[in-house]
Amino acid sequence: MRDCLRFAPMIGAREGELEPAEARALEAHLASCPGCRAFAADTAATDGLVGEALLARANARDFAPFVDQVMARAGAGRARGGVLAWLSRHRRAAAATLVPALAALAFIVYVRLEGGGRNEIALLELASEGEVTMVLQTADGPVVLFGEEHGS
Amino acid sequence: MPPRVIPFQGLVNFRPRAPVSPVEAEDLSLVSKARAGDADAFRALVVRFQRKVYALALGIVKDPDLAWDVAQEAFLRVHGHLAEFEGKSSFSTWLFRIATHLSIDAVRRERTSRKDDIDDVEEADLAGGGEGILSTALGNDPRENLLRRELAGQIQAALETLPEKHRTILVLREVEGLSYEELAERLGIHKGTVMSRLFHARKKMQAVLRRYAGPALARRAGEEEEPGPETGGPRGGGSPRPPGERAEE
Repeated sequence: MRDCLRFAPMIGAREGELEPAEARALEAHLASCPGCRAFAADTAATDGLVGEALLARANARDFAPFVDQVMARAGAGRARGGVLAWLSRHRRAAAATLVPALAALAFIVYVRLEGGGRNEIALLELASEGEVTMVLQTADGPVVLFGEEHGS
Repeated sequence: MPPRVIPFQGLVNFRPRAPVSPVEAEDLSLVSKARAGDADAFRALVVRFQRKVYALALGIVKDPDLAWDVAQEAFLRVHGHLAEFEGKSSFSTWLFRIATHLSIDAVRRERTSRKDDIDDVEEADLAGGGEGILSTALGNDPRENLLRRELAGQIQAALETLPEKHRTILVLREVEGLSYEELAERLGIHKGTVMSRLFHARKKMQAVLRRYAGPALARRAGEEEEPGPETGGPRGGGSPRPPGERAEE
């Protein structure tokens, strides 16, 4: 019985799933144990029955609406999470766009705070390479703010 | 005639791994297109796997409508995370992993773990009754056997008698064909636990099927014996023992 405790769970293993020594020991045990041999025979006889039965039930069901329902739900999900989904798919592009934009926004806030109530408005343009050129609209006219590269 | 240019639709986005089968390569090609926003490619993936995902979910959650929802949810999760699929495993492995976890979650939402979800194999588990009846009944070529088809019709009822852990592992083994190692990885358990859970699952399934096969065999034996009441029992010698003497958990 103690041997059965060890070997019964090995019954039903596929080729290569047991260590060679385990497989040999199991074979020897089966040769001497009618109970385990009967269980092994039933296991072999019913192998695959569950899979066959479940796939047969799936095949018997009308799946015509399934894919349309999935596509509709996926479309609805995409519409809901449009921006988030785009950000998720294009993380690098999002970062390359958002970083300079946020920097520019921070600069605008800074300029407006510094400008106080003197009606100074900061405009900004984003170059294609992501460089930012700032144009400060003041009471004395527009002032273009260059970076260090332009000044040198 | 100008040369025909065929755009490369290969696996440029995926890291190399073990050689892929043509079917897997086709899956990955569809995934690649779906990631780029090709709805038809994603639709093709759904159609390709919908029945198998449903079968897997049905085996675990038992309820056909819940299985339908779980299967759909699995495809939606896949759709939402296509960008994260790195191709380290096959697409089907990824999809079935998601479907498995969704199915288990669905079952666990409905009930808490039961006492009979044990994994250890004890001496009482080895005792049974009527072992050998199924192999005798199903004969040497079980796939051609009428009784096998009849038994398949009882599988759903038999599966429902199993605790979730045993049902899940048996379904994964038989529907998806996972190995011990793959089952251990999928379920986050040791290989030894995989083997003992499968043992429990098979033992219980066979006990239930025996209850059906025993009377069916006896019925047939009776039909065969009608002309001559003195003849022996079914193949294998003697009438089948009444199955399942020991109450299954």
